[in-house]
Amino acid sequence: MYRLLDGHGLTAYYAGGVGLSQRDVGQRDPGRFAAFDDPLVTARLVHVVGDVARVTLQTPALHCASCLWLLEQLWKVEPGVRRVDASLFRRTVTVEYLPTETTLRRIAEQLAALGYEPVIDAEPIADRVPAVRRRLYLQLGVAGFAFGNMMLFSIPRYVNGGPLEPEFQRLFDMLNVAFALPVLLYAAADYFRAAARSIRARAITLDVPIAIGLAALFSRSLFEIISRTGEGFLDSFAGLVFFLLIGKLFQQKAFDHVSFDRTARSFLPLSIRRVTTDGTSLVPIESLAPGDVILVRAHEIVPADAVLTSESGHIDYAFVTGEQDPVSVTHGTVIQAGGRVVGGSLTMTVARATAHSHLARLWTDPVFSTPKLHWLDAILARFGRAFTVSALVLAALGAFAWWPDARMSVTVATAVLIIACPCAFTLAAPLTLGTAMGALGRAGVYVRNPAVILDLSRVTSAVFDKTGTLTTGARVAQEHVNTLTPVQRDLVRRLATQSIHPISRVLAGDDVDGTGVTDVREFTGEGLEGRVDGRRVALGNASFIARLSGRLIGVDDAAVWAWVDGDAPVPIRLASIERPGVSATVRTLASRMSTWLISGDHPREADRWAALFGDRMRFRLSPLDKLSAVRGLQEQGNRVLMVGDGLNDAGALAAADVGIAVSDDTACLVPTCDAVLAGARLAELDHIVGYARRARWVISLCFTVSLAYNAVGLGLALTGRLTPLATAILMPVSSLTIVALSVGLMRRLPLSEVTR
Amino acid sequence: MNVIALLILAGGLVAGGFLLAFVWAVRGGQFDDTTTPAVRVLLDDGPAPSHSEDPPDVHVR
Repeated sequence: MYRLLDGHGLTAYYAGGVGLSQRDVGQRDPGRFAAFDDPLVTARLVHVVGDVARVTLQTPALHCASCLWLLEQLWKVEPGVRRVDASLFRRTVTVEYLPTETTLRRIAEQLAALGYEPVIDAEPIADRVPAVRRRLYLQLGVAGFAFGNMMLFSIPRYVNGGPLEPEFQRLFDMLNVAFALPVLLYAAADYFRAAARSIRARAITLDVPIAIGLAALFSRSLFEIISRTGEGFLDSFAGLVFFLLIGKLFQQKAFDHVSFDRTARSFLPLSIRRVTTDGTSLVPIESLAPGDVILVRAHEIVPADAVLTSESGHIDYAFVTGEQDPVSVTHGTVIQAGGRVVGGSLTMTVARATAHSHLARLWTDPVFSTPKLHWLDAILARFGRAFTVSALVLAALGAFAWWPDARMSVTVATAVLIIACPCAFTLAAPLTLGTAMGALGRAGVYVRNPAVILDLSRVTSAVFDKTGTLTTGARVAQEHVNTLTPVQRDLVRRLATQSIHPISRVLAGDDVDGTGVTDVREFTGEGLEGRVDGRRVALGNASFIARLSGRLIGVDDAAVWAWVDGDAPVPIRLASIERPGVSATVRTLASRMSTWLISGDHPREADRWAALFGDRMRFRLSPLDKLSAVRGLQEQGNRVLMVGDGLNDAGALAAADVGIAVSDDTACLVPTCDAVLAGARLAELDHIVGYARRARWVISLCFTVSLAYNAVGLGLALTGRLTPLATAILMPVSSLTIVALSVGLMRRLPLSEVTR
Repeated sequence: MNVIALLILAGGLVAGGFLLAFVWAVRGGQFDDTTTPAVRVLLDDGPAPSHSEDPPDVHVR
């Protein structure tokens, strides 16, 4: 990487002192971007205007100022690139290039070479955020503009303590009406629309009391001004809309982050090599039909259920099933879509089209098509109803109490409707949760939407996947240190360097070279035999070693045995590496909720996890079993937090009240989930749950405070003393208190707990 | 009274001017991404190409 940078005069990248870790670029297949050469894919992704093509790619690794700087210098590395715009908050890079001088594939490869592996996806990235956002900013601008100016025209009267000279009062009132109209018609329009929609849907949301309050404010003010009985509340009206919109902006900002929605499709490659009599060509996987012969290279994912035609090979199903050990396959074995080829390339015959593959079938479960019900939505709906009903009842009671004084009746009724407008209420949740979401994002926890935080604060069960979640993908030959003698160990490790089988790779490690190894023979699916320093050494499964050594092998569930001529065979167990700090966090969580382990793997490591989970462990679960395990817990009245990583957890993650995906390669291969957690952050899960609970507490506090303000306001309203001045003070003050409480408390108190 | 009217008119014009500037800025996409430009402004243009043989020993992992 340095050479690439230095060659183009970009070494200033290192001067920043930030740098980024070089990802495991070496392991990846250099042909993985071949799909970007496919004209069909290019046509979907690239916009061509004149000579210039424009493409936006997702680069999940983009995270800091150095990244930004480096990416935006891409034009120095790749001739033909005209302009590069990286966005830190959407984690995308927009590249404008000349198709005559470079290609999409070249650009993707250069990005990957710089360490920013673009996500290979045939779907263009939706650019819908700006339109909605711009509208909101404009509404906010109009409301703020009107609010400021109207305050100028209202303050003289408040200071004067009574009506001004008639001519001034008249002028100011008219100006207020003029400024209030765009607020009503443009800035607040969405609230009326939302209220109308919710009434039509017969689900009263908080938008209804807001719309009623706004309508009462505006119409009463207009009436007072026209009938010359008062100056109205138009300044409060504009202020109210302004504060409501600020809350809405916060709410929307929280949705800015990358969308996590993925289906089975996004885990599979875009295209695959199809072998025909004319040779090999890349075809989109959608066009694969049963009977097609495909060539899948090492590290590539098998795109459809297929029958192996190569002699033998290995498939790693870790991501699909959670099983740790790669499976040996021989001629005629059916390979499921989603398996990753290990070792050499394999040819196979497609048995079922991708859409009908075993993998895709999981996605037909209704759990993937029903949106999750968030608790926040439930309580807001409940408050929406309560607010609307109590405001209407109180207004009627007030009007009744002042009857037969018709003027006072109307005054009191409208005052109640005005003051019951739940502005402070609507601010509390978005501000608190939005702030919390931002803090979590900085700490490496990406939440899909703010409501997830509240759901997280209420979970009563935490369910963990094992492989890839509690453990990293990497493994160590933990016990062979104890069972092998140092001499045996050395011999075995040197032999292991001669094989590309994943278990051999683990045994060999990085620090051994294979000197002195001769006569190596590998028996696929069985093991490996050779001479090291002249001694016969073998590694393999129990039957293989028993045959070679001619000795009986005792009952042991070890996956691998080693044998050195003249010694007894020795079992070798492989242990996955636990993520650091995971035990501690699971133990802390266990004191607050029930914790479970559900795994697709063998129960081989059960003893090790029993200390943490006791008998609350299930092994050998299929993806559907995991889904029903989560449902089972929910049926017992639990609110479930599922922590998983692979496709095999996708159903469970979707079914759980909160599904958190653990990912080492942020946003790269994340199934349907509510939050993505960087692997290193799993140790802080207890803090994250604690932080979510803090957020809930802050929201309750804000609700209480705003209810108190409403009670004071209602007291004034019912006694007929709600003056424009009181409203002009009460409304902004209550909103500002909520802003200060929610943002202040979430920023100050617990951030240290999360980032610790 | 006339002075006040003049002042209000002048004030309204200035405020309206700012509103228009704001509308122009939003329409132009200046508020689409408020994170990246805030970081970008802190970056210097790179120095002239260096051709040292030895990579610096920082962050080349």
